[in-house]
Amino acid sequence: MRALLAVGAAVLAALVLGFPYLVNAYWLSVGVLAIFYAIVAASWALLAGYAGQFSFGHMAFVSLGAYTSGLLVVSFGVPIPLGIAAGIVMCALVGSGIGFVCLRMRGPYLALFTVAFSEVLRIVIVSENEVTGGSGGLEVPPMFHIKSDMPYYYLGLVLLGASLAIMLALVHSRWGLFFRAIRENEEAAAASGVKVVRFRIIAFAISSSFAGLAGGFFGHYIAILTPDIGSVDQMGLVVAMAVIGGAESIVAVTIGALGLEFLVEALRSYGQWRLVLFGALLLLTMRFARNGLLALGWEYAKAILPLSLWEGVGGRGRGLNMTNPSPSPRSASQPEPTRGGGVS
Amino acid sequence: MSPIIEARTLTRRFGGIVAVRDLDFAVGHGELVGLIGPNGSGKTTTINLLTGHLSPDAGHIFVRGARADGLAPSAFAALRVGRTFQITQLFSRMSVLENMLVPGLARPHSHRAQATREARQHLEFLGLAALENMQAKNLSGGQQKLLELGRALMLDPEILFLDEPFAGVNPYLRDEIIGLVRRLHAGGRTFVIVDHDIEALQRLVHRMVVMSRGEKIADGTVAAVREDQEVLRAYAGV
Amino acid sequence: MTDYLLIQALNGVVIGIIYAVIAAGLTVIFSILKVVNFAHGEVFMMGGYFAYFAISLAGVPPLPAILVAMAISFIMSIAIERTLLTPLYSPTIERKGDYGILITFGISIFLRNLALIIYGPYPLRPPSFWSGALVIGGLIMTWDRVFAGAAGILMLVGLVLFMNRTAWGEALNAVSQSRESAAIVGIDDQRFYMLAFGLGGALAGGAGALVGPIYSLSPSMGLLPDTQAFAIVILGGMGSVGGSIIAGLMIGVAESMFVALFPDPSRSLTYAQAFSLLVLMVVLLIRPTGFFGRVHTAME
Repeated sequence: MRALLAVGAAVLAALVLGFPYLVNAYWLSVGVLAIFYAIVAASWALLAGYAGQFSFGHMAFVSLGAYTSGLLVVSFGVPIPLGIAAGIVMCALVGSGIGFVCLRMRGPYLALFTVAFSEVLRIVIVSENEVTGGSGGLEVPPMFHIKSDMPYYYLGLVLLGASLAIMLALVHSRWGLFFRAIRENEEAAAASGVKVVRFRIIAFAISSSFAGLAGGFFGHYIAILTPDIGSVDQMGLVVAMAVIGGAESIVAVTIGALGLEFLVEALRSYGQWRLVLFGALLLLTMRFARNGLLALGWEYAKAILPLSLWEGVGGRGRGLNMTNPSPSPRSASQPEPTRGGGVS
Repeated sequence: MSPIIEARTLTRRFGGIVAVRDLDFAVGHGELVGLIGPNGSGKTTTINLLTGHLSPDAGHIFVRGARADGLAPSAFAALRVGRTFQITQLFSRMSVLENMLVPGLARPHSHRAQATREARQHLEFLGLAALENMQAKNLSGGQQKLLELGRALMLDPEILFLDEPFAGVNPYLRDEIIGLVRRLHAGGRTFVIVDHDIEALQRLVHRMVVMSRGEKIADGTVAAVREDQEVLRAYAGV
Repeated sequence: MTDYLLIQALNGVVIGIIYAVIAAGLTVIFSILKVVNFAHGEVFMMGGYFAYFAISLAGVPPLPAILVAMAISFIMSIAIERTLLTPLYSPTIERKGDYGILITFGISIFLRNLALIIYGPYPLRPPSFWSGALVIGGLIMTWDRVFAGAAGILMLVGLVLFMNRTAWGEALNAVSQSRESAAIVGIDDQRFYMLAFGLGGALAGGAGALVGPIYSLSPSMGLLPDTQAFAIVILGGMGSVGGSIIAGLMIGVAESMFVALFPDPSRSLTYAQAFSLLVLMVVLLIRPTGFFGRVHTAME
């Protein structure tokens, strides 16, 4: 089994690294976009799925990162890497601010507040069109002055790899434990000595920083910024990617994002219907497979294939779902007798 | 010896209701205190105040002589004040061991290896060692209560507030909990236990404090309190 | 100048009534299903389109088309509730709060994109209820607006009467205060969740139908009401229909006055959109209270 895995990993690595040589320019650009969405979706999952803070303002930070960098480069001639770094810092600061003001907000109120924040930011960008270019867009210099998307792809891979490495290290550290504790039960976490205030703010700061990074990268790839980057519909796409992938596992979300972006493009001939399809897929996944489709697939794969194959794969039942040491499609809670109203 | 934790003229209101009124309450090292009273007497509110989950409207709290009112619950935990909850508050989707590691690793200068060892020791003590990897939500009610106690123990608490540890617990488990508390107390930990099971408390504690309608109406040995007219009136009247 | 301000204020009252209708529907849903419904604005949008197509495809006259829109919105809402929202009251589902947020957000995305395909991205304008305008002295208001205001008031009165005078309404009140107690008394939960969600949707859809001739229809017209309605519900006291009505009127008038008085006319309209969003943010900052306080559809 181990040998099989090693070969599989090598093949995968080869495919990923050799991707630009295997596909045409169009699909390469899709690849870059997919990497962008993967970073955004993974960082959202870190905040929402892992730390339990359902912020719908994530795209505002992508937008903030892009416009901060873009405006600095265009107006002050700042070199692009510095611009992107500034965008990240800006997002970390504003993200911390949002985390701070939202401290006393639970669940849906946090979601509402962050949606409102996101829309306000978008409206400001549209309104102040002298500075930001408004709906018409703001042209910014691209990172590489080459026609091909190859450098963007490889840079994106590096950024994605680094981001994932940092996020996974975080998830496996004690901070990851604290985030999950806060998600599960804030009062109990506080009683256990977890500085809830600090960690909620940290979660926002880190998540927003990655969004800012993605925004800066995307901005100087696309070379034209529009307020739509921060729209609610973009947020919906990212949420769909995260939920369908499996919102509590960073890896699953990344795979989900990559997969969905390619799927979006593959279905391009269906026009607007594919977005409806994704919406439907999101709803179906939430309703029937809450741990995400990847976890579902993993479960069915385990059921079908002989047990011995799985002994070597990271221990029994861990799957891709980091939260859940023994996941199952029907969660193992004992069904309680329903009262009065009957079964749904 | 100065008290570990002390409340002076502590008051807390909810809307128009005064849940705790002018409470003076001190617990010294090595005590085993029972806190009883009819429903609505303010017992849980008192625990919440003394562990930082609620802040007082008036009065002060001192932990080892230093002012502590207004501090967050995590600060109280860092001061080695532990507690359990009336309704068990576990990290449901985390394993038993992970539940223990949260407080273990929240302590400053803690290391995963050492915290894991400590956690396993406590789990062994509580009889939960075999369930280390089980998800907390899959434990039985009794096991969940024990896990919550274990989680509090990971703070290496000098004082432990137990909120209704015997509620809804079968007699066998109740005796087990009494035994565990006795052993922990013998090992040097101080306890304040709130419960309605007066019989169990009388077997266990040395000192009994009685609250009624937010005020302390008795504070003394078990025998003295048992005879106290005001206490009898409070229970009969309500 | 004061004529202009007065007209703006009156327009604000009309739009405030519309906001109140939407918010009242949201209050009903919120207080009974205990869910923050992110898709409410999309039902509002759909209602507008239902009326439009009732008129253009089925030849229904504009006034009855409102009722048709409300009926279809009612049915659509019940369908959504039955297929997607039942886990909210199932005893075995975990993390209902998260589920509610994600599922209604998903419904919002789904409906908006569905509308985009079916109705196309370009704004549509249904025919007027009544052409021409009401003129009193220096004040002018189109009959459409007058009618929208009047119809909105009728809907609100109807809702209040329903909640207070009918058995169903009182049952809804009971369920909103305590599910368990209501179940013990024999009120079958499930039907009342259906009713509440349907009722809320009908109100939103009706509001959409009223607004169509005034502001025209577009698939994204529900985006702002999604969050706006919550600003009003929270301002009005979380679960009080009466409060929502007052808050709706206040926001409507305040918004109109904002547009009228904002110094920079080129920005006033876009920033007016941000107005209610900012109100929401401020209200949440000051009163971020949790769900399970005294939340019930009280008629103050």
